[in-house]
Amino acid sequence: MTTLAEYLKERRDQEWRAELRKKLKGKERTNIPRVKMPEVDPNERVKFQNVEVNLGLSIEQAQREASRCMDCVNPTCIEGCPVQINIPEFVKNIERGEYGQAASNLKLTSALPAVCGRVCPQEKQCEEQCFYTLKLKKEPVAIGYLERFAADWERESGSVSVPECATKNGIKVAAIGSGPSSLSFAGDMIKLGYDVTVFEALHEIGGVLKYGIPEFRLPNATVDEELENLKQMGVKFETNFIVGRTASFDDLEKEGYKGFFVGSGAGLPRFMNIPGENYNGILSSNEYLTRVNLMGAADDKFDTPVLRGKNVAVIGGGNTAMDSVRTAKRLGAERSIIVYRRSRVEMPARVEEVKHAEEEGIEFMNLANPVEYFADENGRVNRMRVQYMELGEPDASGRRRPVPIEGSEKDIDVDLVIVAVGVSPNPLIPACLPDLKVSRWGTIEVGDNMQSSIPVIFAGGDIVRGGATVILAMGDGRNAAQSMHEYLSK
Amino acid sequence: MANLTTRFFGLELKSPVIVGSSGLTSSVEKIKTYEENGAGAVVLKSIFEEEIYFEYEAETNKQDLGYHNLEYLDYFDYEIKNDKIKQALELIQKSKQAGVSIPIVASINCHSGSEWVFFAKKLEEAGADAIELNFFVLPSDAELEAAKIKDYYFKIIGKVLMDVTIPVTIKLSPYFSDLARMVKELSETRMAGITLFNRFFNIDIDLDKKELVAANVLSHPFEYLQALRWIGIMSGRVDCGLAASTGIHDHNTALKMFMAGANAVQVVSGIYKHGAGFIKELVKGIETWMDKNGYQNMDELTGQANLQKVKNPSWYERVQFMKHFGEFDGE
Ligand SMILES: Cc1cc2nc3c(=O)[nH]c(=O)nc-3n(C[C@H](O)[C@H](O)[C@H](O)COP(=O)(O)OP(=O)(O)OC[C@H]3O[C@@H](n4cnc5c(N)ncnc54)[C@H](O)[C@@H]3O)c2cc1C
Ligand SMILES: Cc1cc2nc3c(=O)[nH]c(=O)nc-3n(C[C@H](O)[C@H](O)[C@H](O)COP(=O)(O)O)c2cc1C
Repeated sequence: MTTLAEYLKERRDQEWRAELRKKLKGKERTNIPRVKMPEVDPNERVKFQNVEVNLGLSIEQAQREASRCMDCVNPTCIEGCPVQINIPEFVKNIERGEYGQAASNLKLTSALPAVCGRVCPQEKQCEEQCFYTLKLKKEPVAIGYLERFAADWERESGSVSVPECATKNGIKVAAIGSGPSSLSFAGDMIKLGYDVTVFEALHEIGGVLKYGIPEFRLPNATVDEELENLKQMGVKFETNFIVGRTASFDDLEKEGYKGFFVGSGAGLPRFMNIPGENYNGILSSNEYLTRVNLMGAADDKFDTPVLRGKNVAVIGGGNTAMDSVRTAKRLGAERSIIVYRRSRVEMPARVEEVKHAEEEGIEFMNLANPVEYFADENGRVNRMRVQYMELGEPDASGRRRPVPIEGSEKDIDVDLVIVAVGVSPNPLIPACLPDLKVSRWGTIEVGDNMQSSIPVIFAGGDIVRGGATVILAMGDGRNAAQSMHEYLSK
Repeated sequence: MANLTTRFFGLELKSPVIVGSSGLTSSVEKIKTYEENGAGAVVLKSIFEEEIYFEYEAETNKQDLGYHNLEYLDYFDYEIKNDKIKQALELIQKSKQAGVSIPIVASINCHSGSEWVFFAKKLEEAGADAIELNFFVLPSDAELEAAKIKDYYFKIIGKVLMDVTIPVTIKLSPYFSDLARMVKELSETRMAGITLFNRFFNIDIDLDKKELVAANVLSHPFEYLQALRWIGIMSGRVDCGLAASTGIHDHNTALKMFMAGANAVQVVSGIYKHGAGFIKELVKGIETWMDKNGYQNMDELTGQANLQKVKNPSWYERVQFMKHFGEFDGE
């Protein structure tokens, strides 16, 4: 078996890549400034919930950016990618104008490249490990932008290649949930010849990609087009189907399903449990985003006073918080404020989201934490008490921990509060399977091969990790597909 | 037979023997057993703010996937905190459902003022019958003045008392330069009772390993003397009930505490050593002695030998081994 290093070397030694490397001198490459992503003007884009902020690179921009890549002997960028995409290969394919090839390179390891190109925290993955970052102390090659470019190009060219599938083996397997983990599981299993059905509780397929991440960051059409690929490969989708309620595992086993992949995600909102949190006008980011993204609540015709606020506070500093606060702005808030108990550098959100939020006039109230809410005579929140914090010693996450400053409380006027302090695993599936081993926090326990304590059940994504990223969820789905295949082949 | 009914925690207790705050009271079964053996109330293990931070650190280390789940772990301390409240709630509710009728008292130990109030309120909502503040600031900060520490106590206590409607009591340490005044002032708040004294986790040095180790986790019988003295000094001078804690290892010691002025005794080490049956022995011993000595009820007994009633009150306040107070010939 060839190792990854050997494989990468082999690919790098291809004639076309060797030729391409000679085309420009190292200095010529490193002197090119990093491309700037074209964006819709902030004043314009805040008027629309469904206008994507990033416009994508033009062919010229993409080629020029791709030529910055040094095609390193030791491509450290790949180490930064959780699914080890062959980054130099796809980038070099863009440089030489083979965009379709670039897309195929991506699809070898990633079921959803157009999605990952948009939502992966590249600055902390591949781009952090780029030669430019590590050695030159310069801005890295815009790998994320290029990934998006290749995937979009393929789609827009209308020449999407449908991966080949093995001959059907007639074995039925089910994926529960239709988030990225299930989708990548389904993609791999269908390629292996299985009869795959994805069961989704909601009326839309895509999990968080649809109901969580707003369209201004990830258009639904982009997700749908990637899904189309799976449908063409023969994956069946059942929506409005709650496994554990619409049908039980037993029912499905009776229908002939031999293996199950649980990718039911982490959709249970968490609250802080502070006084007043039950008032009207205080909701979880989960509920807020779902109502706006899936139920058309952003539409002016929609009667949703609950969701519209003048002074909106969003509690948290992650992607969910950024998505919520920017959504609030788009729904007409005069003030949309991030209230986060640590400082800016500690925020878990993608750097680009924070930058975009700032451009859009989002206020950042850092080192502040709500301790109590107050309401008007109708029970609608009208005031929030925050306590200021200072940073103490670093905690286990390596970030300095917030320490309350006694007596620093201050009240601010709010009429809508969105709590985005994280989510917990969906409890339904563990609840209907008493033999399924779960952790104290409700996550399903699995081995390295993603197999649970019930041998026919595999799991991955947020239901296993509590809450992570699209790329890890996808990696889990792939890993589970491989393991289930081995298990069912025994 | 003597009537052992008494009052503490602002509540009527059918027995003056309370199971003190510790891991002893961590399950429904154990709480039931204590009631069956004659306990008048149980105090749950304290919820410690500091422990939440330690658990948060441990969970973060365990689950850490770097930036991949930073968002998930970012507010995980709230998860742990809420989980602790949920556990306390379940313990209280399930105990009550299982027929436990003695008061179940929750205990807290925090740092920040907001957390004291937060937990007190949540535990009230969870169904605790009273709250015991396990309040202690180790005066190890050489910059911190006594007055500031005292200020801190009263500020927090004021807030808790304002926000909570169930009875609140405090378990104190003996380490105050103005202990009598402190106890008196505390009793003049809405405090429903004061327990003297908490006994803390001690450390020692292991000479072989040359490292710090836990020392004497359980108390010794002779350790009751300090509480006895201070109960005796304060009884009759405070506006709330008093309970004794530390070193109560037999019924005689419990009786002495009552005589000095305690309305109840809290026991922990004795139960750790001898099991729940220790409570039964204690209760029986107390009853038998009271019957034999003609005491009908706790009121007749409580405080009979406090500072204000004894013939030689100055003994309570005597700390030096002067000749006048007793001979010691080295035996
Ligand atoms: C607002 C938001 C923004 C985010 N931004 C980013 C980002 O920028 N980058 C990034 O990498 N990650 C981001 N994430 C995290 C990422 O989206 C998740 O880690 C990822 O979607 C997890 O995928 P999953 O397959 O485990 O499940 P999910 O995407 O959560 O999907 C689970 C699906 O299962 C369904 N389901 C649950 N129970 C059942 C049942 N019993 N029967 C049938 N169906 C069921 C649910 O309805 C849901 O559709 C974000 C998350 C949120 C909420
Ligand atoms: C193992 C153990 C755990 C304890 N935990 C607590 C606690 O959580 N909160 C508290 O206020 N006291 C706690 N204590 C102190 C006891 O409640 C009690 O005050 C002390 O042990 C003295 O009583 P005793 O001599 O009967 O043991 C603990 C004691 C022990 C031995």
